[in-house]
Amino acid sequence: MNLDIGWLGVQAWSLVEIFVLVGLTVYIIFAIVVVRQVNHMTNTLEVGFETPVRLAAWMHLFFAIGTFAVSLFIL
Amino acid sequence: MEKPERKKEGERGGDVLDVKRSKGALTAFSYYPKKVHFVATDRQEKIVLILRRHPITNLTWGITALVMVLAPLALSYFTFVDTIPMNYQVVALLVWYMITLAFIIEEFLSWFFNVNIITDERVFDVDFVNLVYREITDANIDLIQDVTVRVGSVVRTMFNYGDVLIQTASEVPQIEFLAVPKPDKVALILRELRVEEEKEKLEGRVR
Repeated sequence: MNLDIGWLGVQAWSLVEIFVLVGLTVYIIFAIVVVRQVNHMTNTLEVGFETPVRLAAWMHLFFAIGTFAVSLFIL
Repeated sequence: MEKPERKKEGERGGDVLDVKRSKGALTAFSYYPKKVHFVATDRQEKIVLILRRHPITNLTWGITALVMVLAPLALSYFTFVDTIPMNYQVVALLVWYMITLAFIIEEFLSWFFNVNIITDERVFDVDFVNLVYREITDANIDLIQDVTVRVGSVVRTMFNYGDVLIQTASEVPQIEFLAVPKPDKVALILRELRVEEEKEKLEGRVR
């Protein structure tokens, strides 16, 4: 589908693409903050379940980076 | 003559409290937990109890997460989806599952790190409000003035969980342990610790 917004001289999907990429960049920063926060919390309270919790936070960050990379290539 | 066996940690007052030492890192009621380290405690301070919200309180977000995981399947019934280019559909799906993962992680961490800790000297309330905000409050056991147990619904009565409200004479007037399992036992443990603290004061063993 090719939506033209003639008066702006740009295509609507290009705008969506920019929004998606900017949004995902912000999300990656958020995911980094999550990793730092989880590291800090696991250092604050150690109960023997730190590795899976840290792993989940890292998985979330890699997922965010992966989504950004996929978006960059296919959009 | 046979010597009376000395009680170990976690067995003190066991006949009154009927509480056994808990195992497992994911338990909501952990009495004299092993291999636990909380950064705010002193070296001699012993962790008596770690509390989290009752596991049943996770049911609401668990169902929401399940709905979020399955939601994209329902999209095939909507025709407007076909008007969106395939590459955008893929990205939308990835973003959706990324948000779902973030939601699950946030809710789990909120349960896991929102802990109430009772040591032999203090009570701590660790509030992990969201992924970027947390708060740790503490009060000395000897400053506790009143402990109130509140169990107020059918579900809470059925699963034996409720709130323990601790009035203190410290800067923080009230510390709340919300939706914790076995609230009566928590109150009992606090009472025992307060009595123990009073004894220590009278005997001049105050740290």
